[in-house]
Amino acid sequence: MPEAIHQKNPSNTLAILYQKFKNNNGFWILAALGPVYFLFAAIRIYPILETIRISFYRYHITKKHNPFVGLRNYERLLGDDAFHTALINTIQFTVLAVVATLFLAFFIAILLRSIEHVAPIFEIIFYIPVVTPWVPASVIWKWLYDPMYGLINYVLYFFGIPKQGWLQEPNLIIYAIVIVAVWKMLGYYIIVFSVGLKNIPTTYLEAAEVDGATPLERLRFIILPMLKPIILFAVVMSTIQFFNIFAPVYVLTASAQGAPAYDLKVVVTEIYRNGFQYYRMGYAGAQSVVLLVFVMMMITLQFMAFRKGNE
Amino acid sequence: MLKKLVCRVLVFLFMLVITLSAGPADAKEKLSIWLGYGETLPVFEMVKGQFEKKYPDFEVEILTFSLRDFEAKLASSMPTGAGPDLMALHDFIFPRYYDNGYLEPLPEDLAAIVKDPQKINPVYNAVVSREGTAHGVPYWTGRSTLFYNRDHFKEAGLTQPPKTIEELWQYAEKLVKKNANGDIERAGLTMRLTGPSGGIQKFGYLYYQMAGEQIFEIGKTPGTIRVTLKDNMDVAVKALLDRINHLHGDRKVDDWKLKHDAQGFSSGVASMLLRETWAIAFIKKNGPNINFGTARMPKGKVRGAFNYIQILSVSNQSKVKDQTWEFIRMLQEQEALNLLLKESGYSPLREDRDFTWFLKDNPRYEAVMQDIPGYNQYLEAPNTAYEETTTRVGEVLQAAYRDASLVDNPAGCKEVILKMQKVAEGILADNDSLSK
Repeated sequence: MPEAIHQKNPSNTLAILYQKFKNNNGFWILAALGPVYFLFAAIRIYPILETIRISFYRYHITKKHNPFVGLRNYERLLGDDAFHTALINTIQFTVLAVVATLFLAFFIAILLRSIEHVAPIFEIIFYIPVVTPWVPASVIWKWLYDPMYGLINYVLYFFGIPKQGWLQEPNLIIYAIVIVAVWKMLGYYIIVFSVGLKNIPTTYLEAAEVDGATPLERLRFIILPMLKPIILFAVVMSTIQFFNIFAPVYVLTASAQGAPAYDLKVVVTEIYRNGFQYYRMGYAGAQSVVLLVFVMMMITLQFMAFRKGNE
Repeated sequence: MLKKLVCRVLVFLFMLVITLSAGPADAKEKLSIWLGYGETLPVFEMVKGQFEKKYPDFEVEILTFSLRDFEAKLASSMPTGAGPDLMALHDFIFPRYYDNGYLEPLPEDLAAIVKDPQKINPVYNAVVSREGTAHGVPYWTGRSTLFYNRDHFKEAGLTQPPKTIEELWQYAEKLVKKNANGDIERAGLTMRLTGPSGGIQKFGYLYYQMAGEQIFEIGKTPGTIRVTLKDNMDVAVKALLDRINHLHGDRKVDDWKLKHDAQGFSSGVASMLLRETWAIAFIKKNGPNINFGTARMPKGKVRGAFNYIQILSVSNQSKVKDQTWEFIRMLQEQEALNLLLKESGYSPLREDRDFTWFLKDNPRYEAVMQDIPGYNQYLEAPNTAYEETTTRVGEVLQAAYRDASLVDNPAGCKEVILKMQKVAEGILADNDSLSK
């Protein structure tokens, strides 16, 4: 009964909560985790909320009057050819890059398991591009792709293949950028798959071998099912990475003095252009929100597809 | 024990932050300058030395950025009051800051100089002034000109640069060099085929000569823009056909796979180039063996040179306005302007200063420095949506360049011109700057 009376009194409830908080070292937990949560909210959550807010405004960075326009920025997106082209290019690029990266990484990871004693050396070699920043890596590829003096065209020409405008031809440039992206991220996914493969108990594979399973059957019935969580992780991460591609596209398509390149549009370069070249922050905000929703939808679909496979 | 330790660490960190954030007791006042053209830095450095000697309590901080970074940094810092005291603005971004009230009007003595036609050409005064009040000092100009390779000309039996647009294309056809497979090894005229914003500007160079006006002209109402393509449809179609016909088939004089622009010209893979003043120094540096000359822009209905100017302006948020104006006065002295010309090759806009010494040593600059009657000097119309308009319209233009079905196809080219007009008007209307 006295306890019930206590519960009805709000000041007493607060006092109890405070006492519990104090007894559980709440101040110290708050002191340790508070700054982290604060930074997370300030650096991650607030910008997302602010982006959503300004997407409803005609927000120009240098203008003093930025009126509320409701859904007009989103309405404008429907008729924006440049954004549609960027979205199609981004989807095409993401599909190509995810498929090529993951297939190659998986294949190489399996090969490396068969040469276990020297595998770390190859893993380090494949990992070097991952730690190379995007911008210098893209600059190097820009030289390699140079139509007149680039190494790639030189090799092609040596074998009698005509020189190609890798970054100049609208039909070639997307493949040129996919090659760069695959080269850059391959090492990371080799490591991811290698870790997954190492965790498969060898007894399963040996038992299957004794039962007469072919390598392909072992891959299909043992390795792939056991790697499902790793594959899901790799698909989700690579989709997010490639859908947000910016630096290599920006560097490789930048048309500088004497280095012409086709202006390939992807969603993030369009957002950058609208936000930081045309200063249409509100419109760039609307594009960012669409990108966020699109990526979240794709990730949800991927999770659903993998869950369905498990059932 | 652990709690005590954590407490001590937190107190130590707090003290450290306080100590580091406190400035030195004898800090000097700072005058900050931002530049988008790094090649002009030596002049600012020289004047900085003179200024700091004259005002020992001041420290001048000069930051240079690439032009795009400069524009982005300025756009994000001016509204928050974190911008520089002195900024050198391109004429096409000047309205963005003037129209939104970020610039300080000139003091009387500098205003008198800007208004004096003997000292500053009224064309430039018009750019920096609104309702009779100037908000910047026109500083230097870069002018369009024709660059031609003398050795290539000699090889093709040509004795002088083309004087008309018809001659320009005829010469380009004579100068182009192809290999046995028909692939172009040397462009007769290097065109701007990529980079949409620059592409529309370069297309506009010849359009201006042919139409007698620019693609984007000042509208009837102040602050608005008129798109002239539809009004000059025949000329616009002809200008587009000239380019497309010379990018495909037998008359082809340029190719996407070649090095382009000033770099292509300085590498010897282009015989002619239409570019601005800065390219003289660039070609001399990057192609020291290239024997080249410069000439005035080829004539059409009119003849004239495109100018882009730099304007020296002071932020109205500056706390050291008087000293900043003084710095600008020092930049106007003959010695500083001589150094500007010598180091960067940009032509100072002060007509009461003497630069004959420079022309004597550098005759290639005559085409971009000497004003002659009948040779118009024009600037782009002030446009707050400049980047977006030129980029989007340039994208339409450069997509058309790749379309071989447009060769000798005026009807197809007309469609392209109408699309360019529509795209431009859409953006301008969206920015409330379309002339009705």
